[in-house]
Amino acid sequence: MRNVALTGAVLAALALMPQAASAQEIKPGQAENMVLLPKFLGIAVFDQAHKGAEEAAAELKNPTKLQFLGPTPENSVAGQIEIVTNATTQGVNAIMISNNAGDQIGPAVKAAHDKGITVVSWDSPIPSSEGEDVFVAQVDFKETGKVMADMALKILGDAGGKFAVLSASPDAANQNAWIAAMKDALKDAKYSKLDLVETVYGNDQSELSYNQAVALVDKHPDLKLIMAPTTVGIAAAAKAMQDEKLCDKVKVSGLGLPAEMVAYTMNGCAPAFALWSFVDLGYLSYYTAYALATHAIKPEEGAKFHAGRMGDYTITKDPTRAKGLRILMGPFSVYDKSNVEAAAK
Amino acid sequence: MKWLQRHVRPEQVRELSLLLLLVVAVVFFGSLIDGYYTSRTFNRIASSVIIIMVAAVGQTLVVLTRNIDLSVGSLIGCAAYVTGHELGLHPGMHPLVAVLIAMALGAAAGVINGALVTLGRVPSIIVTLGTLAIYRGILVDYSGAKTITTDTLPAWLLNLPQATLATIGNLDLREMVVLALAIVALFQFATTRMNFGRLFYAIGSNPDAAHLVGLPTRRIVFAAFVLSGALAGLAGFMTLARFGTITVDNGRGVELQVVAAVVVGGVNIFGGSGTVVGAMLGAVMIGTLEQSLFRLQINEFWRDALMGLLILLAVASDAVILSRMRALWARTELKLIAKPAPAPASGGAQR
Repeated sequence: MRNVALTGAVLAALALMPQAASAQEIKPGQAENMVLLPKFLGIAVFDQAHKGAEEAAAELKNPTKLQFLGPTPENSVAGQIEIVTNATTQGVNAIMISNNAGDQIGPAVKAAHDKGITVVSWDSPIPSSEGEDVFVAQVDFKETGKVMADMALKILGDAGGKFAVLSASPDAANQNAWIAAMKDALKDAKYSKLDLVETVYGNDQSELSYNQAVALVDKHPDLKLIMAPTTVGIAAAAKAMQDEKLCDKVKVSGLGLPAEMVAYTMNGCAPAFALWSFVDLGYLSYYTAYALATHAIKPEEGAKFHAGRMGDYTITKDPTRAKGLRILMGPFSVYDKSNVEAAAK
Repeated sequence: MKWLQRHVRPEQVRELSLLLLLVVAVVFFGSLIDGYYTSRTFNRIASSVIIIMVAAVGQTLVVLTRNIDLSVGSLIGCAAYVTGHELGLHPGMHPLVAVLIAMALGAAAGVINGALVTLGRVPSIIVTLGTLAIYRGILVDYSGAKTITTDTLPAWLLNLPQATLATIGNLDLREMVVLALAIVALFQFATTRMNFGRLFYAIGSNPDAAHLVGLPTRRIVFAAFVLSGALAGLAGFMTLARFGTITVDNGRGVELQVVAAVVVGGVNIFGGSGTVVGAMLGAVMIGTLEQSLFRLQINEFWRDALMGLLILLAVASDAVILSRMRALWARTELKLIAKPAPAPASGGAQR
């Protein structure tokens, strides 16, 4: 009897120790059926995340092939709910989702979670955090707001001026959080000359984003900058300003992919923009989901694990949501004429 | 009244009233939007409307035969993407080859639509609703999530939307606009003056009668779908030139705008009546509305709702006003035929 209790105590201590002291190593080679679910298929950044996840899957020697499932662009919200529901019925082990459905995804995710499926959100979280184990945040959302405000200040200079935001869809949790964080950052006196006049939505569709950008300059003749925190929107806005021969007057900035933006940065239409590595984001999301699904770590504050080539990560409280946990990836890369060409290759 | 009835057809009244509506819309938006009456607004609407316009010409041919082609949105996306992809691989390609690739791709998809409708005897709304999803699905798969970006495209293509043939005052007459107008003129001529073109009307007004008198019903319906596909392909090429950045999402929802242009332009959804010029005016109307509502930054749900209201009004007015006019016209024609003898004499005396 005493023996059992002692063994129990030792085991408990052993179980606690690695989490408290050092990062938990993950045991590779376990069969976990995992689903990577992007906002929708056919966008370069999600393809890059898929690549990163495949890289992690190969390193972790998961014998079960990763499922990369996504809705078609016109069916994003309903499609995501359907895929989560189907994956739950099939009884997969882990779902990694870049949420494009706001809190509408809630019931489907909760059903998956109740069935014991690991749910990791990445890129775009579930706003209420209901049913989600942890959110793998690409960057700190507050920092995104500050980076955007800083780029605006750098481009507009001390004279300042009017600028507008061209976002994706009004339901995109990540974009909304970044815009809110930027508005917060703008309250600082140093940005007092920056005047945010309007936020419009291009739904991550090139044509709509293009038309919205053009309408913005028509409506605000003294507009100096369009800030687009979406890779589709920023490229479309830059092309629109180039076509309108307005690149000298109206600059474009935001979050963009170097390969898609290199031409506009070199010709001055989009002097600076920022992004993080989506390959790394996919890689880290896979490691996180695998670690949770194999019970190497628990989804709780302070849990620490070793994510291959990217090093150690710790689960913390998510300061940008009321509830919910997060793993912060970072950092930002800001691109301009000096480094965009190298990054585009 | 008789003179009016003899020289003006109901369809022309329809087009005139649409033109009047267009003027009303422009005056209305002009009063709401500062700096609306500028060359910039004109150039903006002109270069945005041509994509819908070209696809609407093809759609008109299909609708005339009492069918519908809903797959054009996906076709535009596919043609834009594939042509952009090929141009990226072979930047030295002759411009004409690029246009032909886009049109051939559209025509090939049109062959599938046409074959399913004519040989498979499946209603066109079902066939093209299916192919709308299928063509988009193929594109998502084919693209491998790559985006066509401007830096892979040749300079001539990127400069094409700005290429101007002539400038009247501040108004640019852009090459792509001229091309779209030429296509409207060509098909207007073909459908009003050529035997081949009149067959579309004959089949649409009474398919059974057309079949009984030995018209090649199936071949004409098939041709309508192939032409609609080819013109959607051309619209895809124009999309590529205009937007440069092409994702798999390209052209989504355009089919509704195209059908709206055709219906608002007075082409009867039950076939047999309407003109290509009417569809062109419908496209201009929708383009003007869309661009102007953008300027007002109206919420997109309201924008869609307004578009829907316009379609309903167009169809309702077609049913109520035009059918009465047609009845009136037909009655007078009967009277004219009934007493042919005095007609030339009195007519001659009056002139």
